[in-house]
Amino acid sequence: MKIFITQSKYKKIFIMLFWILVWEIAALIINRDIYLPTPISTIKTLYDIIFIKETYITILYSTYRTILGFLLSCFLGILLGYFCGLNQFIHDLFKPLINVTRTIPIMSIIIIALFWFRGTNVPVFVTFLMCFPIIWTSTVTAIKNTDKGLLQMCKIYKINGFRVLKSIYLYSSLPHLRSGMISTLGIGWKVTSAAEVLSLPKYAIGSQLYDSKVYLDINGLFAWTIIIIILSFLFEMMLVKIFDNLSY
Amino acid sequence: MMELKNISLKYDDLQILKNFNISFQKNIINCIVGPSGVGKTTIANIIAQLIVPDEGKIIGLENISCSYVFQEPRLIDWYSIYDNIDFVLKDVYNAEKRKRIVNDYIDLVELSEYKDYKPSSLSGGMAQRVSIARAFAYPSDLLIMDEPFKALDIKLKNELLSSFIKLLSKRQRTVIFITHDINEAVYLSDTIYMLKYNPAKIVKIFKNVQESDKSMVEKNLKKMYFY
Repeated sequence: MKIFITQSKYKKIFIMLFWILVWEIAALIINRDIYLPTPISTIKTLYDIIFIKETYITILYSTYRTILGFLLSCFLGILLGYFCGLNQFIHDLFKPLINVTRTIPIMSIIIIALFWFRGTNVPVFVTFLMCFPIIWTSTVTAIKNTDKGLLQMCKIYKINGFRVLKSIYLYSSLPHLRSGMISTLGIGWKVTSAAEVLSLPKYAIGSQLYDSKVYLDINGLFAWTIIIIILSFLFEMMLVKIFDNLSY
Repeated sequence: MMELKNISLKYDDLQILKNFNISFQKNIINCIVGPSGVGKTTIANIIAQLIVPDEGKIIGLENISCSYVFQEPRLIDWYSIYDNIDFVLKDVYNAEKRKRIVNDYIDLVELSEYKDYKPSSLSGGMAQRVSIARAFAYPSDLLIMDEPFKALDIKLKNELLSSFIKLLSKRQRTVIFITHDINEAVYLSDTIYMLKYNPAKIVKIFKNVQESDKSMVEKNLKKMYFY
């Protein structure tokens, strides 16, 4: 038994089963489905959901919103981060804006966004605004921590600016960007569904969560939550793969 | 002739150079010897235009191409040995010529077997050899070497010294060699500038060292260095 559970592949399964068991026991003790459904009833609901065509449309739309918000924040965060990392004045100019963005409560942003945008764009905007400061900070830190010795070397050998950017700054910022982007992607999924709950687009996981609340469908709530967790996990794995291929 | 005239430089409150003058002859090995902390690296960095002095003029260094062997190898970790040398030549030569030159210089420092390795898998001495090969492969008029043999043991140092002499014979250039090691200085240099004090001053210049009585030069240098 000891050998069995210490082998890493089985260990993971064992840990997962352990926590499902804890969940099952807790559900049995509480014994009220409305507070905490059992794992079995949740899986049953999940099983029902996955055979409905609309589930996939819903997942597709939510994924689209999360990834669009995430990519926008990456694009602008990295671009602006590069300039801010290279120039102290631009850094000081943008710093207050980033600090404010970082501290605004997510609910305020969602409600403001509801005034400004139509349903489907609210989650995209909110996700962008939540992720952007993290990506910006990672990029600025990465640029500022670039090896000064290598930059001096480039200056001596008169390497052109574009190649310095590509060969020195970009590569040396990869580890910072990697951790920044991975944590941002996780946040992106959470923020998108929160914004969807309030903006209620037609096809959205957040709208499904809202419906579960309205119809007191706790099993549905749990099932959709599991879907978000799985999606978040899958996309994180994909991002890690991409970074593994990029890194040296 | 390359010349630094009336150079002054302060780091915070520390006056490193004050009205400092030095002139280097072209196409020979000029060596700056002095104890640690006397400002040798600062002088090298002013010549390489990595530092701008507070005051003074730099003459004869305009439009000059320069290569530099730093105290540490300063290689790009994510590039192979081959690509590290290729990197500095990309804006200078076409692909075909580059390939020939990079391979030539990797051969000269005897690292052909390792050309696809990343710097992290090389020893300190090997990495420094790559850095020297890079400096020589680059078509510079001026080569600055800032204690390139510092953190190395005697065997490696001798290997590098012989690589250095071999490489220098391929193309004539002005070398500014910085060291605190008197033996190294006497072994390699044509002119030696002995630096002391803070702010730095040249206390003695030894010319035509290779043609003079080296043991005498060494003795004199040691005397000045320690007293």
